[in-house]
Amino acid sequence: MTRPRTPGLSPATLARRSESALARSEGVREYLVFRIGDDVMGLPLASVKEILKLAPITEVPRASSEVVGILSVRGRMTTILDLRRVLQLPDAPVARGARILLVEHGDEVLGLRVDSVTEVVRLLEKEIEPAVAIGGGLSEHVTGLGRPSNREGREESVIVLLDPVALLRS
Amino acid sequence: MNEETERVRDEFLAESQELVESLSRDLLLIDHGQKHNALDPDLVNAVFRGVHTLKGIAGMFGYGELSETAHVLEDLLDQIRLGKISLEQSTLDVLFEGVEVLQRLLGAVRGESHEVDVALFRDAVRSITSATKVATVDPLAAYDIGDDVLGVLTEYEEHRLRANAEQKNPLHRLRVRFPLSSIDSDLEAVKRRLKPVAEIITYLPSIEGSGDDAIELEVLLASRATIGELRTLAGTDAVETVRLRVPESRTVPPPRMTEDGDVFRRDSKPPQRTPTLPPAMIIPESSQRDMGAEGIAVRAVSKTVRVDITKLDHLMNLIGELGILKSSVGRVLERMGHHTEMRPISADLQRVHRSFERHLAALQDGLLDVRMVPIGQTFERLARAVRQVAREHGKEVRLVVNGGDTEIDKLIVEELIDPLLHLIRNAVGHGTELPQERLRLGKDPSAIIALNAYQKGNHVVIEVEDDGAGIDTKRVLARAVERDLVSADAARELDDHAIRQLVFLPGFSTANAVTDISGRGVGLDVVRTNIGRLGGVIDLHSTVGVGTKFTLTLPITLAIVNSLVMRVASHTFAIPLTVVQEALALSEYEQRVVDGREMITLRGQSLPIVRLASLFKLGTPPNPKAFVVVTALGQRRVGLVVDALEGQQDIVTKPLGKSLHRVRGFSGATDLGDQRVILVLDAPALLDEALENESPLAERRMTSGGTA
Amino acid sequence: MMERVLIVDDSAAMRHFLRASIERLGLAREIREASSGLEAMRVLPREPLDLLLVDVNMPDIHGLEVIRWVRASPAHAQLPVIVISSEASSKDRARGLTLGADAWLDKPFTDEQLDATVRAVIEKRRGAKTP
Repeated sequence: MTRPRTPGLSPATLARRSESALARSEGVREYLVFRIGDDVMGLPLASVKEILKLAPITEVPRASSEVVGILSVRGRMTTILDLRRVLQLPDAPVARGARILLVEHGDEVLGLRVDSVTEVVRLLEKEIEPAVAIGGGLSEHVTGLGRPSNREGREESVIVLLDPVALLRS
Repeated sequence: MNEETERVRDEFLAESQELVESLSRDLLLIDHGQKHNALDPDLVNAVFRGVHTLKGIAGMFGYGELSETAHVLEDLLDQIRLGKISLEQSTLDVLFEGVEVLQRLLGAVRGESHEVDVALFRDAVRSITSATKVATVDPLAAYDIGDDVLGVLTEYEEHRLRANAEQKNPLHRLRVRFPLSSIDSDLEAVKRRLKPVAEIITYLPSIEGSGDDAIELEVLLASRATIGELRTLAGTDAVETVRLRVPESRTVPPPRMTEDGDVFRRDSKPPQRTPTLPPAMIIPESSQRDMGAEGIAVRAVSKTVRVDITKLDHLMNLIGELGILKSSVGRVLERMGHHTEMRPISADLQRVHRSFERHLAALQDGLLDVRMVPIGQTFERLARAVRQVAREHGKEVRLVVNGGDTEIDKLIVEELIDPLLHLIRNAVGHGTELPQERLRLGKDPSAIIALNAYQKGNHVVIEVEDDGAGIDTKRVLARAVERDLVSADAARELDDHAIRQLVFLPGFSTANAVTDISGRGVGLDVVRTNIGRLGGVIDLHSTVGVGTKFTLTLPITLAIVNSLVMRVASHTFAIPLTVVQEALALSEYEQRVVDGREMITLRGQSLPIVRLASLFKLGTPPNPKAFVVVTALGQRRVGLVVDALEGQQDIVTKPLGKSLHRVRGFSGATDLGDQRVILVLDAPALLDEALENESPLAERRMTSGGTA
Repeated sequence: MMERVLIVDDSAAMRHFLRASIERLGLAREIREASSGLEAMRVLPREPLDLLLVDVNMPDIHGLEVIRWVRASPAHAQLPVIVISSEASSKDRARGLTLGADAWLDKPFTDEQLDATVRAVIEKRRGAKTP
C-alpha cells in the first residue's frame, strides 16, 4: 500500500493504486487510516476529499477551542480543527508529519488536523465490529472497530472507525 | 441532457424574473396614468402579454401553481384589455396583488421560502370578474375595411379597432418600406414618432412590396391627427385615410370627415355604463419622466446580456488573485533591484509590471462597474410596497425618490430590500398620521415618504424620510423600561438622541407590530444587523411633530477594498480604509477611564478606545508604543488600539466558513500574497461591541454577550 | 428527419425549451430561432425550411401575421406551420387555421404531443412519412 508523501495526494489516487476495483464489489468498505498519538483511526475514504501537508494556519481569536484557525485552500478560507480536541483527547505538540484531512460538512469543507496519515485500508464487512461502549469522549463519533485480517506485517490490529457527520456536529 | 435542462431552467427563471419586474413597472405606470386619466391601452396589453408569456413558460417547465395563477391573472387582464371590465382602483389593487403573488411563487421555485396566499388572490379576482357584459352595436361596420385585414387581426386588435371606432377616431393605413438590415430600428423609430398622436392597431406585412432585401409593412392606425401630420411623422407620403361605408340608420351618425382627415374636438367622457378606457391616448411627457421614462425603455430592443451574479463573483475572485500575483511580482522585482548586475533586466521587467498594473486596474474597474446597478431599481420595488402599506393603514402617502441613478453593488442591493421595506412599513404604518389628523395639525393630508440616495466618498448614503409624527422619546423610554431593556436608573442618564437609539434594541418591537412583506421577523435590530452585515450602519434622527429620517451608510461595493494592515501581538489584521479616519500614537494622548470605558481626548472630543489585544483575549500586556486607529461609521467612532501598522493594501475579503459565523468581529479573511492569511475586521460589529461593552446598558446584557 | 426547422417565439426560455425537445426527439438536423415576427421575416426568404413553429403572442408582428405572410409567398405556400400558444381565444385559433396554419399546439405540451403533431403535419403536407 502506498504512503502519501506529497501534499494534495487525493485518496482517490491512493485507492486507484490499490486495486480499487475490489472496493466496488459488495461488502467492502474503504477507510483512510491515520494516527493521533498512539491511536489508530479511520474515516470512510469517500468522506475525505483531500489530504494536505501542514501549512501555516492563521489563528482566529475567540473561536471555540477545537478550531486551530483558517487556511487558504485554493483561495477558499477553510476552517481547520484539531481532531485531538474534537475527540477530547489530551493535547500534544504538533507532530512533524501532521496532515490535514479535508472533509465536507454540509456545504462547507472543514480540515481535520491529525498526526500522520498511514494508508488506505479495505475492510470486509466481517472485519468491522460495530461500536460498543468504549468509554471516554469517543463513543458518539465511533461507528465501529476495524480489525483487518493479517496482511503482511500490518502493525495496526484495531482501527477506530469514525463517523464524519457525528464528528463535525460540534 | 441534464446539464442542458439545468441551463434551460435557469433561462426560464431569469426570464420569468424579468417578466415579473416588467409587470411591476408597467402596473405602476398604469396606476399613474389612470389617476391622471391618461391611460395607455398599449400598457394594459403589454401587461396582459407578459402574464400570458409567463403562464406559457411556467406551464412548459412544469410549475403548475405558477402557471395557473398566471392564468387567473391573465383572464382578468384579458377582460380588462377587451374593455369588459373597467380599470378602477380596486381592480388595479387586485392586479398589484397578483404580481406580488407571482413574485413570491417565483421565489418559491428558486427555493426561497415565502408565504403565499394564492387562494386569497383568486377570491379577489373572482369578485371582480363577475361583471355583466354589455352588448354594443358594432361600430366597425361603419368603416371600409376589407375582410382580408379583419381576418388577420387578433381578437384584441379587433377590440382596439372597435374602441377607436366607437370614439369616432379616424383610421388610417400607412405604408412603409424598410431594408431588412435595419428594419428593427427603423420600425422602432416610426413607432416612437407616431405614438404621441396615434394608436397603432396592427402591422401587416405585404408580400407585393417586399423583396429580397426589404420588407414592406402596412400599418393600420387610429389617430385624430391630420394626414399631413401623420405623413411628416412617418416620413412617408403613403398615408391614406380609411374610407367609410354608407351609414346605416341603426348606428350612430357617421363621423364627419373631410378629404384630408380633420381633427375634431371631443371632450365628453364616455358614458359610465360602457366600460371602455378613457379617451385620451396621449401620455403627458412629465408623468413619463416621473417614472423615469422607463415606459418606453422597457419595450426597446434590448442590448443587454443577463449575467448570473456568481459568474461576476468568480471573475472578481480571479482578478483578486491576479492582484495578489501582481504584488508578488512586485516583491521579486524589489529583490532583483538589490543585485546591480540585474539592473537592465529588472528595469525592463519594471516597465512590463507597471503596464500590467494599469491594465489590471482598468479590468478591475470595468468589472466593478458591471456589478453596479442603479439603486432606482430597488426604489421601484419599494414604490409598490408604499402603496400597499398606505392602503392597509388608510393613510395617504406620496413617494418621492431622489438619486435613483446612484449606483451600488448588485449584491448589496439585493440585501437592502428587506431592511428598506421594514423602514417603509414603519414610516407609513406608525410614523405617518392619518389624513384627518394631519389636516388638524395643519399638514398636507398626503404624507410624504422620501427615498434619497447619494454617493459620499466610498459610500452610498440612503435616506428614508417621512414628514410624520416623529419619534416620541418619552414613549420610547417608557417602552424600553417596560420591556426591561434599560433600568429606570440608567434611563435617567440618557439624552434624547440616546433614547431614540433604544428602538434598535432587540425586543423593542412587539408581536403586534406589522410583519414585513416576506413574513419574517420584525424589529429594527434585525435591520441594523442586516445593514451591518453589508458593512454599513444605520442612524436615526427625528423631531416630534416634524418627521423621522433613517440614514443608511453603505460601502459602494463589497469586492476589492483598500485596507490598512495592522499587527496586534503576533496577529495581523486588515481593516477597510473606508472606515478608518486616522491613525495616532497612543502615547501622545491622555488616557482616562470614564464609566468603566477607556477614553482619550482627540481634538476636544472624547473618543472611546478598545484594546484589540484584550478584546480578542490575546493575553499580551499593554504596549506603550501602541497605535490608535480611529474607526468611524456614521456617527459612531472608536479608537482601536494595535501594536503596529504595516501599511496599506488592496485586498479581496473572502468569507469565513459557516462554522465560524458565531465568532464576532471578523468579516472574513484575505490572502496577503506571501502565503499569509489574515483576518479582516468587521468594523460595524467591532463598533457595536466596543460601544456596548462597559456602557450603562451592558449590565443588562452581560449574559447574552458571550462569544463562541 | 427534417433538414431545417424555424422556431419563432419572443421568449428565450421557450425557444430553448423547444430546441431541446426537438433535439431530443431527433426531428431536425438544423434548428433556427427568431425572437420576433420581424426576425422571422428576415430569415424566411433566406433559407429553405421544412417546418415553422410560431408563437401567436408576440409584440408588433404577431404569429397570425407571420402565417399570413408565409402563406402569401409562393416559396412557402406549402411550408408546414404549427402555431404554439397558450389557449388563445377560439376566435384567434379559428383565424389562425383560416389563414393557413396546419395545427395549433396549446402550452403546456409534452414531447409526445409535439412529436405527434409534427408528424401529422408533415404527413399532411408532404403525403409521406418522416423517418
